[in-house]
Amino acid sequence: MYFQKKRVIAMLLAGGQGSRLKVLTEKTAKPAVPFGGKYRIIDFPLSNCVNSGIDTVGILTQYQPLELNEYIGNGQPWGLNKTHSCAQVLPPYERHDKKSGWYKGTANAIYQNIDFVDRFDPDYVVVLSGDHIYKMDYAAMIAYHERHEASCTIAVRNVPLEEASRFGILNTNPDNSIYEFEEKPPVPKSTNASMGIYCFNWKVLREALIADEDDPKSSNDFGKNIIPKLLGAGHKMMAYPFDGYWKDVGTIASLWEANMELLGKEPAFDLRGDERFKIYARNSALPSSYIDEEAKIVNAFVAEGSEVYGTVKHSIISIGCTIGKDVVVEDSVVMPGVTIEDGAIVRNAILGENSVIRKNAVVGGAFGPQDKKKISVTSKNAVVEENSVLRPGDML
Amino acid sequence: MNVMGIIFANDANIGELTNQRTMASLPFGGRYRQIDFALSNLSCAGVRHVGIISRHNYQSLMNHIGNGEEWGLELEEGGLEFLTPYAQSVTHTYRGKLESLSNAMNFLEFGAEDELVVMIDSAILSNVDLVDILNKHVQSGKDITVVTKAGVANGEKLLDLAVKMENGEVADMVVDYAAPEGYLASMDMFVLNKKWMVQQVKEMIARDKFHMDRDLVLGGWQRGKVSVNVYEFQGVALFNESVEEFFYNSLALIKKDVRSDIFHGNHPVFTKVRDRVPTYYGEECDIENCLVADGCMLEGGVEDSVLFRQVTVGKDAEVEHCVIMNDAVIGEGAELKYAILDKNVTVTPGAKLIGTKKSPIIVRRGETV
Repeated sequence: MYFQKKRVIAMLLAGGQGSRLKVLTEKTAKPAVPFGGKYRIIDFPLSNCVNSGIDTVGILTQYQPLELNEYIGNGQPWGLNKTHSCAQVLPPYERHDKKSGWYKGTANAIYQNIDFVDRFDPDYVVVLSGDHIYKMDYAAMIAYHERHEASCTIAVRNVPLEEASRFGILNTNPDNSIYEFEEKPPVPKSTNASMGIYCFNWKVLREALIADEDDPKSSNDFGKNIIPKLLGAGHKMMAYPFDGYWKDVGTIASLWEANMELLGKEPAFDLRGDERFKIYARNSALPSSYIDEEAKIVNAFVAEGSEVYGTVKHSIISIGCTIGKDVVVEDSVVMPGVTIEDGAIVRNAILGENSVIRKNAVVGGAFGPQDKKKISVTSKNAVVEENSVLRPGDML
Repeated sequence: MNVMGIIFANDANIGELTNQRTMASLPFGGRYRQIDFALSNLSCAGVRHVGIISRHNYQSLMNHIGNGEEWGLELEEGGLEFLTPYAQSVTHTYRGKLESLSNAMNFLEFGAEDELVVMIDSAILSNVDLVDILNKHVQSGKDITVVTKAGVANGEKLLDLAVKMENGEVADMVVDYAAPEGYLASMDMFVLNKKWMVQQVKEMIARDKFHMDRDLVLGGWQRGKVSVNVYEFQGVALFNESVEEFFYNSLALIKKDVRSDIFHGNHPVFTKVRDRVPTYYGEECDIENCLVADGCMLEGGVEDSVLFRQVTVGKDAEVEHCVIMNDAVIGEGAELKYAILDKNVTVTPGAKLIGTKKSPIIVRRGETV
């Protein structure tokens, strides 16, 4: 078979369970979790690749891959199904030398797919994760990486000092070269948090992966092992500052917040933005939405294929939902295919795909003054029975 | 069953809206083009070889359809073919369906001889169970099946073809005539045996007959040479054959019974993907009884209207009984009643456009009012 040489390919780590999303990832891998009415989380890194001119993407899957694999399919929604492009799903597999099996860590996942990468003989490999919401031109980052003749470039963003100990922190010289990496430091020296977006010279990464695999003490992780080892070996590593919107949607609260940040006339994260930097999603062939004469929709997103008869305020209504008469949905994320029957009240909630809220049920409520954000969550296909109550912060 | 589909892209013309495009590429229903309904009917029935016959103005149509992948027609074998007139064979555009078919012989003679051919028009929209129609055609043993709709003939509407049934047989047949109530109107959808059809087309053209309804169906039936099976479709059929009908049907789609029939879950209607973001409803918008596509920004009032993709409605605007096609920008405080805005129209703030139910105001593509 003929493989065209590529300057850059991307490897997208999409195998994590996302256990902090609790019931939402019981049956779904985190990258396949719906977002923003018609998208799934993985649409963001995939669209970023396409918008950055990267046409070859390996997608490393492991946890609950069925839905994710179906969603990615042949990569057609992102234009990755052409003769010289691909979106290749790479699940763990069995090998003759037993250096195989489940992906032990993020680095091991790439290690097990060295053959895939080698086929394209790339100069650079961009390693991405499938759980962040952002728009980024990786081409600009690669140009920066080239300009600085680095072995590895890591995208960083400035975080508040009090939050810095939750991240991998990169301590840099004035020219943005990295001299130290600290994973979740108790006393952070700087506020440059790694965004989990790496650009490597493939030759350097390839060697490092092989060496790391031979180290029995390694947990085969990029942050914990590969980056410190490369630094220790004296490779030139650069921090690439990024100040656009970026959100790790790894928790219920952050997923809810990121959805809410799409709303408003000038939203924190503007999905419309630049026409040339669209986010692509698999299309579901649903008709336009119907908005009834009794409906009242204020500061909200409603995606296609929905029917709205009730009141929707400051919420995301995804594709194929029904919002019944006298329903009130406020400050909530309603995922695809949800039915909310007449008279139900939903506040501060995330309703999982195809869940059903029966008549006059109450889900969630106002945050109390002392409460942290208590978001009520229903899992995929859950049913909240007629007249029943799902209290603030509860999960079903 | 081997089935091929033929779609006629511009068999009707409704004035300004089809000046620069075929009937097939006329936007309809918020996010579709008229041809999407025919293509989806074929696609849902598993038809994987479709020819689109287009006489002129087919650029926007080709742009819309591309390689047909949205309808599962991007295939190595079969798939989608554009059958456009070429200068070598005809110096004029086609005079009738038979003439255009005779020009598409290469397409028709491709593949198995036992194939059935489904012909669909782009002006009459429906969501039919084509598999049932094909089965009934085969069971009938007749030469041609005409798919029809009751309740359309009213003595006023000019019908391409209408039949009157008695005891399950065709008792009368008329062409280009405002048939009275009781007649079944042809939906310009036919099923024929391919081999038979190819022969008929050749024989008709040899005698300078080119009109499908008049010469082949009516003429053949009258002479006892063509046996006709009539299939009465029970669902919704939207005849968009005039501006008035197009406008009426566009707004009828808001009604639940029409909408749920045309878009019923088992047979989706596919269209070109545009990757617009979900529609944003602003702080002060007031949307009542509307169909709204993706990508709109709504700050004003809209009632009883259809909004296509990426429409912006400014604050305090009042839009009632309107069909607003893609990318329109309606300025603050503008007032629109009974209007059809073609694509990319800009309505300046405070402007007023008031049409009537019978003759809506039409704003042409790209214009500013």
